[in-house]
Amino acid sequence: MINVLLSLAAALYAGTAAILIASLVGARRFVPSVGAGMTAAAVAAQTAALALYTAQTRELPLVGMAPALCTLAYLLGGFLLPATVFKDTRPLALVLAPLAAVLLVVAMVLGVRPAGEPMAFSGWWLGLHILLGFVGYVCLAVAFAAGLFYLLQFRELKEKRFGRLFRFIPPLAVLDRVGRIALQIGFPALTLNLALGWAWTVRFRNSLFIENPQVVWGILSWTVFVAALVAGTGGAGRGRRSALVSVFGFLVVVVAYLLWVGPTGGQLFHVGV
Amino acid sequence: MALRVLGLSHHTAPVEVRERFVFNAAEVTAALRRLRAAGAAQEAVLLSTCNRTELYLHLPEGAEATPALELLAEHARMPAEEASRFMYRYDERRGVEHLFRVVSSLDSLVLGEAQIQGQVRAAYERALGAGGEGDDRVVGPVLSRLFQHALSVGGKVRSETHLGVGAASVPAAAVELARKIFGSLKGLEVAVLGAGEMSELSLEALMGDGARGTVIATRTEERARAMAERQNARTARFADLDRLLRDVRVIVCATAAPHAVLTRELMDRLLPGGPRNPLLIVDIALPRDVEPAVGDIDNIFLYDLDDLRQIVDQNLEKRQQEIPKAERIVGAAVEEFWTWYAAREVVPLIRALRDRAELTRQAEVERMLRRLKHLAPEDRDAIDALTRQLLNKVLHAPTSRLREAAANGRALQVLETARYLFQLDAPEPHAPEEPE
Repeated sequence: MINVLLSLAAALYAGTAAILIASLVGARRFVPSVGAGMTAAAVAAQTAALALYTAQTRELPLVGMAPALCTLAYLLGGFLLPATVFKDTRPLALVLAPLAAVLLVVAMVLGVRPAGEPMAFSGWWLGLHILLGFVGYVCLAVAFAAGLFYLLQFRELKEKRFGRLFRFIPPLAVLDRVGRIALQIGFPALTLNLALGWAWTVRFRNSLFIENPQVVWGILSWTVFVAALVAGTGGAGRGRRSALVSVFGFLVVVVAYLLWVGPTGGQLFHVGV
Repeated sequence: MALRVLGLSHHTAPVEVRERFVFNAAEVTAALRRLRAAGAAQEAVLLSTCNRTELYLHLPEGAEATPALELLAEHARMPAEEASRFMYRYDERRGVEHLFRVVSSLDSLVLGEAQIQGQVRAAYERALGAGGEGDDRVVGPVLSRLFQHALSVGGKVRSETHLGVGAASVPAAAVELARKIFGSLKGLEVAVLGAGEMSELSLEALMGDGARGTVIATRTEERARAMAERQNARTARFADLDRLLRDVRVIVCATAAPHAVLTRELMDRLLPGGPRNPLLIVDIALPRDVEPAVGDIDNIFLYDLDDLRQIVDQNLEKRQQEIPKAERIVGAAVEEFWTWYAAREVVPLIRALRDRAELTRQAEVERMLRRLKHLAPEDRDAIDALTRQLLNKVLHAPTSRLREAAANGRALQVLETARYLFQLDAPEPHAPEEPE
């Protein structure tokens, strides 16, 4: 049943993306609002799936790669929903909806079940630590989507191309605002996530745990936030600089996870003993 | 009664002819009153814009539109015969369709332009205000219904199609570009260089979207001041450009200068390293006011007349694709109005037919009951009910067919036949005499 609900959610995200692709290809002036309904349905399906998981396993879907990916996709859906409601931000779903669908598909391929790891780091510390981390990474994904569209629209405007992309992509100011807000929410969330994890490690393990790839990856992600925020302040071209850092930073974070943290058997967040 | 449209537009008359047929508000009122007083029309509405002058008439049976033509020709100081060379005439259903196409902007010079709907509404309201009460009214039930229906069709076309979407003029294209960069223009500082017509139109379009405007005088400060006053904007001198560039996000250049006014060297000096926020420069001057190299500066978006025309052409092409959808809405609305209008024509005939049949029925029942005096009251009632039911059944088919035929545009032909067949042009029957 959990898989059925997650498959439904993934299909709805894919449907939202398909509608937006049709809108882009058809050079329609207005992106249809039906995507908002589909995203809402996807979030509802995910809510049911995660509630069922919690009821069946008697643990929150935060531990283990597959459950964590489901929660990450759920939070992404939560951010995506308001974006699809407003006309100006609706096109962002073209990047975020497939991302949510991919996360769900990967989770289902891995098998959505408890990791079965004994945890030293548990209770509300764990929940808050992981949740803050998820919020941080979802915000980085939103900043990436906004940044990518900013760079594309900037290029269209500079090169005087008034075609499909020009019509489809939101105004520069809107993208700049969305990216900035995402960074401003994500940065404190990830900072607190790291601080909580580190405080626990130092307090109970007497170690900085710096040799752990996941910790290094967390610091790398935090550095990306700092760089994007710094790039967005100051003189000429700050919007474009911030967009560039958000896009490349997100790609670096994802590639580092896939090539480095993942193969070393890491979780999304360090929770094991 | 007949519906008729008489007029001229950019399709049939050049501008030098059209301008002679333009009526101001007072002239419209006077013309409508004159038509009504002369009995030349039961109802009339006069639509006068820079691209068309049209009289919508509801004429008495058999009346000609000649007095209306003479009135238009007289206004244009032109012999009626010459005026008629530029005129078109649409009767009945075709006239309804024409108005619905006009109000939907399908007949406009710039397809999908928004002003025509307001102009049609103003023409209708002016006609409503031109007449007195009762029989002196210039607009009666037919044209009232026609124009209200037309305005709702116009609204429907605008909301259900993309016919009016996208910039269709150079100033509107400048606004579209500004929106793509800044999102909302509310509170945005814009400046125009030059005080010519294009500068003013652009400033009006930008300020219409909520921007705050400044007119930068390049030659005569007086013209700039007058334009600023008209548009509720501020004025500044070209020497103040340094200060202005700190806040201004859009600059429209439309001076008559024979050389570039904003050079790369000047912009590098005023904005070293480029502007902090995006700066949109729209150069609609010929020769151009801005050196193309200014567009290479980071965060400056420079567009000239050709770029804006590219946007306008693309939008007009998109609007063209919406025509079939808009025509379908118009077609359905014409059908709906015509059904009402034609049924309205046929109602008196149906009433006469039913009255005639009812009179005959009553007379015959009365005659029969006088013979059958022995019947109980309930039996007499049963005979009365039976004959009434019989009559209704017999009349149902011809009544429905009459309404249908009228709605299909065959009203005149069928009405005449019906009158003849049912002897509705003959005197009403009297109750037959009791036979001896």
